Amino acid sequence: MGLSEQPAERLPVASSPPGGVLGAGTPTFLTTRLDFVVNWARRNSLWPMPFGTACCAIEMMAAAASNFDLARFGMERMSFSPRQADVLICAGRVPYKLAPVLRRIWDQMPQPKWAVSMGACASSGGVFDVYSMVQGIDTIIPVDVYVPGCPPRPEGLIYGLMMIQEKIREERLSEHGTLRAEDPAAVARARADAEEVLALSGPFGNSTRQNRVSGPTGSDASDRPDDRIP
Amino acid sequence: MPASTTVEALRAAFPDAVVRDLVQSGDQQVVYIDPSRNAEVLDWLRTDPGERFNLLVDVTAVDYGDGRPLEVVYQLWSIPHRRALRVKCELPLSRLAIASVTALWSAANWLEREVYDLFGIEFRGHPDLRRILMPENYAEGHPLRKDFPLRGRFSRAEQTRRALSQDMEQYYMPDEMEGRGAPQLVPADESATSGSGSQGR
Amino acid sequence: MTRRTVEIPVGRGAEMGMDARPAMGPLTPVDVAEPDIGSEQMLINIGPQHPATHGVLRLICELDGETVVSVTPHIGYLHSSFEKLGEYRTYNQIVPLTDRMDYLAPLIYNCAYAMAVEKLMGIEVTERCKVVRVICLELDRIFSHLLWLGTTAIDVGAFTPFLYAFQERERIYQLHEELTGARITTSATRVGGMMSDLPAGWAQGVRDFIDTFPRTLNEIDSLLTTNAIHQGRTIDIGAIGPEDAIDCGLTGPNLRASGVDYDVRKDRPYYDYETYDFEVPVGENGDCYDRYLVRMEEMRQSVAILHQALDRLPDGPINVEDPRVSLPSKTDCMNDMESMIHHFKLIMDGINAPAEDCYFAVEGSKGELGMYLVGDGGPKPVRWRIRPPSFVNLSAIARLAEGHLVADLIMINASLDIVLGEIDR
Ligand code: SF4
Repeated sequence: MGLSEQPAERLPVASSPPGGVLGAGTPTFLTTRLDFVVNWARRNSLWPMPFGTACCAIEMMAAAASNFDLARFGMERMSFSPRQADVLICAGRVPYKLAPVLRRIWDQMPQPKWAVSMGACASSGGVFDVYSMVQGIDTIIPVDVYVPGCPPRPEGLIYGLMMIQEKIREERLSEHGTLRAEDPAAVARARADAEEVLALSGPFGNSTRQNRVSGPTGSDASDRPDDRIP
Repeated sequence: MPASTTVEALRAAFPDAVVRDLVQSGDQQVVYIDPSRNAEVLDWLRTDPGERFNLLVDVTAVDYGDGRPLEVVYQLWSIPHRRALRVKCELPLSRLAIASVTALWSAANWLEREVYDLFGIEFRGHPDLRRILMPENYAEGHPLRKDFPLRGRFSRAEQTRRALSQDMEQYYMPDEMEGRGAPQLVPADESATSGSGSQGR
Repeated sequence: MTRRTVEIPVGRGAEMGMDARPAMGPLTPVDVAEPDIGSEQMLINIGPQHPATHGVLRLICELDGETVVSVTPHIGYLHSSFEKLGEYRTYNQIVPLTDRMDYLAPLIYNCAYAMAVEKLMGIEVTERCKVVRVICLELDRIFSHLLWLGTTAIDVGAFTPFLYAFQERERIYQLHEELTGARITTSATRVGGMMSDLPAGWAQGVRDFIDTFPRTLNEIDSLLTTNAIHQGRTIDIGAIGPEDAIDCGLTGPNLRASGVDYDVRKDRPYYDYETYDFEVPVGENGDCYDRYLVRMEEMRQSVAILHQALDRLPDGPINVEDPRVSLPSKTDCMNDMESMIHHFKLIMDGINAPAEDCYFAVEGSKGELGMYLVGDGGPKPVRWRIRPPSFVNLSAIARLAEGHLVADLIMINASLDIVLGEIDR
């Protein structure tokens, strides 16, 4: 993970003598791209904000505990306060009652920030295609990495987080503003009107049976008449 | 299987409150009682030295659909006598109200709130009858009723919109925690219950 | 804003009067502005996203200084409508839902549900299945108590027990995985038996686990039981007497810590629990410390039961031979038409349960876990109700926490051992 592992052309080292980059008696500075250094620092000290609700949260805890040890990836500090966090890990089911909480926590996180949706429920609603469940948290917040599984194994979560690290490696400081353009004030406001929510949430999740027509009468329940008969 | 001693004693004590009794699943005693006298009968079952059903295990309800009456089900267990009893009250759809038993068991408090939330049965005399699982401003009805579709009455987009427009600051102020007024079976206009706090943020 | 007169004592020791009252110094009494603390109570909100609430629980506390005047819990932030979903699923399709409800002890829920359907249909499972299910139940009791132990220890500031407990849990995860292929979402039971028979070597794996597990348990025990900080945070905190505990509907370790000897395994035995030799630990004071002690002892008793169950594990079929529920063997399906149709019917239509209702309770890790099923003669239940032990236990928190400090509220909440997946269902 260190600097020295990087390919030589990305790491121009000033007057590096044979015998090591930072060996005794050598100049103790090196030149590099700002993007690279910032991304290197960012991706190796990601502080996750664990938004754990259900079964997946237990696997997230297992990933942080002794056997899997997330600390190896610079994530030993689970940041329970969103204001000091970089990655939101949404692990578990998110009912509509919890949706504004998730949205607010996301808004409270400072930029730059990333989101991982862990498990089938967070990503698409999973088996819970019912009246109380959000069908995929991408209707509430933007998501960077989806980790499939019910629940995903800790290895799966770690792989997802490594993909975030990979994503950060490719980021450009100059493009940052455009990548994460969003206006928190417009989204988490109470009683946003229907068009706004539709526009913000599009593409509307990744679950198949969602209609985008808003209105108190239309219900997609009628699409599957079988399910109406208990 | 003959009726158990509990049912005999119950019939002797309340000859006109016991509607019928039956045995289910082999050995489970069920008694149907008059819904207007539920508190009285349950209190007797709780305190009578021969019965002592002192643990209220569960309060729930069953909707059979097709316009049949809803059943309120009380599961009782007697710790001293090691006996179980299931007491049921049938409520016609036109009058979904029954007396609360929170005065007899504190355990009934949340259980009755849950039944109110999911079935819309009103428990008269309950100290704090509010929705417990669904959001306070939930406007789609009572989910466990048979006429309620599995995915709710509104479209997903509408549900998301309503969810995001919930007022997070609800219950922050003491005056919001008190004096909620009489419970409504289905809030007629959900904006009336949630609109107040949204402007001041 | 009221004002009160403050006498500022200066000088102690030598100037102290004979009656040990501070002598008045050169300063005269002054009037200082004082916020009206007596009548102004603070309202703070904990949760729904808070690491100490063990899930998405929201507690709204009214505080007087640091003392809790009242707590109003708000739940429902994880309401996933299991009960409604169950009405749209056939009896065997419900099994995968059950372990998503209490993900801390999935096998207990699998078994409890299967047992309730079997009771409704009047099926008696095989001897081997009974013992296998007892092993599952007790293994997951340890599984759940370990998570409780680790997270509760974190709440009082001890991190090491969490790591120790998770190491042991990881071994149970592996046993789950060998048995069912999943670490948490096991779905191990079917109506009339198990998903499959035990894999080779599994029983030995359980034996290895229970041989070494007590040593780790003793280590955690030595870290916490006589630890002054732990005792200070738990003794006399959140105490509840036996009468009140019954009134609040507490069950399981929470009730037994208050001195009421009610355990479904002893009082309404199922699966020959009466023939196993084990003790039911009962506390005295009903405070957080007693709840801790009861759970610690329960883990040891579970180890004892596991030893006995493994010793008596009989051979024979694991699934019942009942045409209503059991699938014909693969060979039969391939060879004769009738078995083939039977297999097809069972899979496509599901199994039919009679039009009766049935309440079946087991001793779960959190308390009395009941399954109430109403059938209508068809393949889907009219109503599937879970009697949620931690839902009822949590409803007592307002009574338990009154008059304690906020920090103790966290401990009380932890000591009730709640799981929000099952509270909100
Ligand atoms: S994806 Fe599966 S394991 Fe994760 S929260 Fe949903 S049901 Fe639980």
